[in-house]
Amino acid sequence: MKEGFRQAMAWLHTWTGLIFGWLLFAIFLTGTLSYFKEEITHWSQPEVRRHALDPAHSLEVAQRYLQDNAGHSGTWLIRMPNAREAALSVGYRDPDGGPRGFASKTLDTRTGQPVEARDSRGGEFFYRFHFQLQMPHPFGRWLSTFCAFIMLLGLVTGIITHKKFFKEFFTFRPGKGQRSWLDGHNAIGVLVLPFHLMISYSSLVLFMYMVMPAGIMASYGNDTGKYFNDLFGRNDAPKAAHVAAPLVPLPSLYAKVQGLQPGARIGRIQVENAGDSNARVTFTQSAADHVAYRRSANWTFDGASGALLSQGKPESGVMMTAFSFAGLHMGNFAGPWLRWLYFFFGLAGTAVIGTGLVMWLGKRQLKHAGSERLPGELRLVEVLNIASMSGLLLAVAGFFWANRLIPVGVEGRADWEVNAFFIAWGLSLVHAVLRSGRRAWGEQLALGALAFALLPLLNGLTTGQGLNHSLQAGDWAMAGFDLTALGTGLFLAWLAGKMLRSPKPMARRASRAAKKPSTETAGAS
Amino acid sequence: MLGNALIAYAGFVALCLAMEKHFVDLLGRKPRPAQLRLLRSAGWLLLVLSLVFSVQLRGWAHGLVEWTAVLMAGVTLWVFGLPYQSRLLLGLAAASVVLGPLLAVLAG
Repeated sequence: MKEGFRQAMAWLHTWTGLIFGWLLFAIFLTGTLSYFKEEITHWSQPEVRRHALDPAHSLEVAQRYLQDNAGHSGTWLIRMPNAREAALSVGYRDPDGGPRGFASKTLDTRTGQPVEARDSRGGEFFYRFHFQLQMPHPFGRWLSTFCAFIMLLGLVTGIITHKKFFKEFFTFRPGKGQRSWLDGHNAIGVLVLPFHLMISYSSLVLFMYMVMPAGIMASYGNDTGKYFNDLFGRNDAPKAAHVAAPLVPLPSLYAKVQGLQPGARIGRIQVENAGDSNARVTFTQSAADHVAYRRSANWTFDGASGALLSQGKPESGVMMTAFSFAGLHMGNFAGPWLRWLYFFFGLAGTAVIGTGLVMWLGKRQLKHAGSERLPGELRLVEVLNIASMSGLLLAVAGFFWANRLIPVGVEGRADWEVNAFFIAWGLSLVHAVLRSGRRAWGEQLALGALAFALLPLLNGLTTGQGLNHSLQAGDWAMAGFDLTALGTGLFLAWLAGKMLRSPKPMARRASRAAKKPSTETAGAS
Repeated sequence: MLGNALIAYAGFVALCLAMEKHFVDLLGRKPRPAQLRLLRSAGWLLLVLSLVFSVQLRGWAHGLVEWTAVLMAGVTLWVFGLPYQSRLLLGLAAASVVLGPLLAVLAG
């Protein structure tokens, strides 16, 4: 009975892992990149200059810009610069300005003048892709949420399947073919398990309003906006009274917030009905201030008199639990060291999926070690493995190369960067179809190594902000990006070298393993 | 954070050595049962110590998160580095027992 259960779980682990592994790999890799979303955006828009943070001054220049340029608009949105993000972003509702009736500008925090930065989605692209998958709303969210569920299922079934969880806790034996892959898969899964469990469970918590809407719909019907207002202690702003009244200076409201919550960093400010006697100003605390993602940390003022109208309600235990999972998932609170750890744990999650996919195929390839050609279905898996892993890396590199090579003035420039990502991905699929497995791996990894290792050089040549400049100026986001690209290039070169060298020792091991099937691995096949 | 990381790392190394198989592999002799017991208690003690320092320095919310992070990072470094640089990693663990608490105390 017990063995039957374990076998069933192993079967589930193997097949859900295979079917969803390709997509999960992409979700995990782009999600991991999202831990450096702001830094990637900084690299993608080198025109935006970083200045010392001065929130009161930033608010002053933002208010001046919006009063001069968006006095007619009912809604303003200001996103404050912070330690990681150099840009001061302002946006306003404008029926004929920008997509979806919302115009937005990036201001220089010192001068308050709009920055003419190249049109790029930067880190936002990878961030959006990891839960929307470039699909129309809401299908991408549904699919990625389902993938998160599969990941959680994969972890639970993986733990059940793994017979020697504690006995082999510290075990990794390299250079032994399939044995090493299984060791690596298990070790990286077990040792970083708290992160894996947190990240997949919290994805479900983040989208619980979408996945389990029954409770909300029973009480609120289709007016889910009201549910969120109740939850976060927000009130919809009243309609404009059409009585002119000047908006109080935003820095004075900022000072009031500082009085209420000393040291609070502000993430965004929303202004409704500016210049009207019914003006409302809402300050929302930066997500970097708490581990939990407390969306209710906000203060609403009367924009005409400057009086404090409401504060976000204190959270209930249940809300804090949900907000904590959300906060842990996004890691907004993490300083540089913890952020790097988040990044590496994300890569570990990606590696668990990748090693699993490689093992599924490797194990089945052993049976055909002597024959010339793989059966069709195994060849399909091989091609998809290559395209979804090394191909995705080429796609990411393609995005960054496009960012530096597409001229600044081109119409729809940001879209072309995204197109470059998908074109590179598509070409890698074609390449994987045309070349034999090992060669395709090696060639794509070698190209990826070249593409990543040369990025710092490309950056230096096209923007003049290469490593020589960024290290000297202390621009760590820019330098960190270039150095990470260089490191990625070296790592891929090492992998490519392994793949392109003669595969003989591998085959010898394979035949030996085929003769003597190990009992440990039998469970997971 | 580095201090806690070193303590947690040393803790996992001790727990690893407390398993007879790894003790023999790494130190090249058979352990006495008392040695294994000592290593096991020392390992758990170091992990708890790292937790105490984390929470003390950073509060419960950040402290727990950072502790979990350095725990995972330390043990991953140990397990994947072991086949390649076992002497170096053992040396680092020995140094960590002294250096870790020192750094953690200095940070506080």
